[in-house]
Amino acid sequence: MTAAAHAQDHAHHDDHAHHPTGIKRWLFTTNHKDIGTLYLWFSFTMFLMGGVMALLIRAELFQPGLQLVNPEFFNSLTTVHGLVMVFGAIMPAWVGFANWLIPMQIGAADMAFPRMNNWSFYLVVPAAILLVASFFVPGGAAASGWTLYPPLIIQQGISIDMTILAVHILGASSIMGSINIITTILNLRAPGMTLMKMPLFVWTWLITAYLLIAVMPVLAGAVTMLLTDRHFGTSFFNAAGGGDPTMFMHIFWFFGHPEVYIMILPAFGVVSAIIPAFARKPLFGYASMVYATASIAILSFIVWGHHMFTVGMPAAGNLFFMYATMLIAVPTGVKIFNWIATMWKGSMTFETPMLFSVGFLCLFTIGGFSGLVLAITPVDITLHNTYYVVAHFHYVLVSGALFAIFAGVYFWLPKWTGNMYNETLGKAHFWLSVIGFNIAFFPQHFLGLAGMPRRIPDYALQFAEWNMWSSVGAFIFGFSQLVFLYVVIECIRSGRKSEQLPWEGADTLEWTHLPTPAPYHTFETAPVVK
Amino acid sequence: MIGAFKAVFWSFFGVRRKAEYDDDAKKLTPQAVIAAALVSTAIFVLALYGLVKLVTR
Ligand code: HEM
Ligand SMILES: [Cu+2]
Repeated sequence: MTAAAHAQDHAHHDDHAHHPTGIKRWLFTTNHKDIGTLYLWFSFTMFLMGGVMALLIRAELFQPGLQLVNPEFFNSLTTVHGLVMVFGAIMPAWVGFANWLIPMQIGAADMAFPRMNNWSFYLVVPAAILLVASFFVPGGAAASGWTLYPPLIIQQGISIDMTILAVHILGASSIMGSINIITTILNLRAPGMTLMKMPLFVWTWLITAYLLIAVMPVLAGAVTMLLTDRHFGTSFFNAAGGGDPTMFMHIFWFFGHPEVYIMILPAFGVVSAIIPAFARKPLFGYASMVYATASIAILSFIVWGHHMFTVGMPAAGNLFFMYATMLIAVPTGVKIFNWIATMWKGSMTFETPMLFSVGFLCLFTIGGFSGLVLAITPVDITLHNTYYVVAHFHYVLVSGALFAIFAGVYFWLPKWTGNMYNETLGKAHFWLSVIGFNIAFFPQHFLGLAGMPRRIPDYALQFAEWNMWSSVGAFIFGFSQLVFLYVVIECIRSGRKSEQLPWEGADTLEWTHLPTPAPYHTFETAPVVK
Repeated sequence: MIGAFKAVFWSFFGVRRKAEYDDDAKKLTPQAVIAAALVSTAIFVLALYGLVKLVTR
C-alpha cells in the first residue's frame, strides 16, 4: 500500500469513529441499520397504541349494553385502531426489516439513497402524531371506519382533515421508501448475486415496492377528492351534486386490495427464510415461489370488487370479481404447499422463530379459507359487515403478517444485537399469543355467522357469550405482547453473546459473510457470490 | 416470446418444473416476461369477462 493510500485509509477509519452520538446519531442517521431500528421501534410503539385502542373496544364489548365509552368514541376507536395498525404498525415494521436486511442480503453497503431513507422515516412520525392527536380535537377522531367512506367522512370535523394529511404524508414516505428499495435491489447487488439468487425476502419486497408505487398515489387521489368535497365545493362523492359515493369505494379498494398484499408479501419472504433454516432443507420450489408472488401481485389489481358485493353492482360484475378472487387463491395455496413440502422429512427443531412460522402457516391458512368463503358473492351478501369479516382479516393480518414479524424479530435479533434472547420466554410469548389470539378471534366467526354486525358498541343478548370469550382472549393476547417487549429489552441488555451462527440452517449472506452482531458498516467492498 | 408466455401461464398457477425453469433463466429477459405478464393479465380478464357474460346470458 502506498503512503497516500494508507493515509486515505486512515482518514476513512477516523471518519467512522466520529459519527455523531446520542440523539444526533438517530436524528441525522443515514445508516440503513439505524433507520431499520428506528422503524422497528416506531412500529412497536404504534402497535402498543393501537393495542390499547383494541383493548378499549374489547372492554366495551365484554358485555352487552354501553358501559365504558360513548358510541361516537367507540367508532373513533375502531377507525383509528385500524389506521394505526395498518399504516403505523405493520407497514413500518416491514420497512424496518427491509432496511436492516436487504442491503446485507444482497451484499450492498447501504441503501441507494441514504438521506432520502432518513426523510422517509422522519415523515412517518408527524403522520402518527396527527392520527393520535386527532382524538383530542373538537368532534373527536375520525369515526368513519379505516376505509374512510363518504358520506360519513364528509360530515365530521377537523380530525378528518388531520387524517387526510396523515395519509398523504404516509403515502409520500412509502413511495420514497419504495423507490429506495427498488433502486437498491436493482443496482447495488454484489457481483454474482443474480436476481434469481436473491433470498425470497428481497424478492417479496421488490414486488411489494412496485405495488406501493402503483397504489399509494391512488389512495392519495381518493383522499384528496374527499378533501375537496369537504372544503372546496366539489361533488365527487356527493349524489346531490351529481357525484357517487360508490365511486369512492371503487377507488379505495383498487388501493385497498393490493394494500393487503403489501402487508402480507414480506411475511411470505420472512417465512420462506425461516422454515428452510429450521427444517435444514432448502426451500422447496424457490422459482415457483418467485413466480407465484409476482402473479399474486398482478392479479391483486383485478379483485377489488369483492369488498363491494352488497353495493348493487350488476350480476356480471359480482361474478367477475367472485371468479377472479377465487382464482388468486390458487398461487397462494401453492405457496402453502411449498412451505409444507420444505418441512417434509426435514430435521426440524422448534425454536421461537420456527414456532411463529408454523403458527403463521396454520392460522394464515384459516384466514385464506374464510377469505374464500367471503369471496362467494351470495354468501358475502349475508356476511358482509359482520364479525365474520373481522375474523377473516385478523387471521390474515395478526396471525399472518404480525406473527411473521415476530418470527423475523426472533430470528434476526442475534444478528442485530449480538445477543441471544431468552428461549423459554420467547416460547411463552408464542404460546400465550396463539392461545389468546384464537380465543379472541375464532369465536368472531360464530358471531358473524349468527349475524352480529361489525363496528357497533352494543349488541343483542344472544351474542353475549362469545363476545365475552373474545374479550378475554383479546386481553390475554394484548398483555402477552409485554412479554415480547421484555424479551427484546432483556436480550439487548443481557450480554448473553450469541454464537456467530445461532441457526445452523441459515444460509443467506448476512449469516454466512458477516460477523454477529453485524458491524455498523457492512460490505463496504462487495462480496463475490458464487 | 412463446417461452415467456408459458412461464407466465405457469406462474398464474404457481408452479414450475425445475428443468423448465432453468431453461427460462437462460432464455428469457425480464422485459419479455413483464410484457407477457401484462398481455396475459389482459387475456385473463377478457376470458373471465367472457365466461361471466356466458353464464349471465
Ligand atoms: C385467499 C386469499 C383471500 C381472499 C379470497 C380474500 C377475500 C376477502 C373478501 C371477499 C373480503 C370482503 C369481505 C366483506 O367485506 O364482506 C375480504 C376482506 C378483507 N381482507 Fe381478505 N382475502 C384474502 C386474503 C387476505 C389477505 C392476505 C389479507 C391481508 C393480509 C386480507 C385482508 C383483508 C381485510 C383487511 C379485509 C377487510 C377490509 C374491511 O372491510 O375493512 N385478505 N377478503
Ligand atoms: Cu380484498
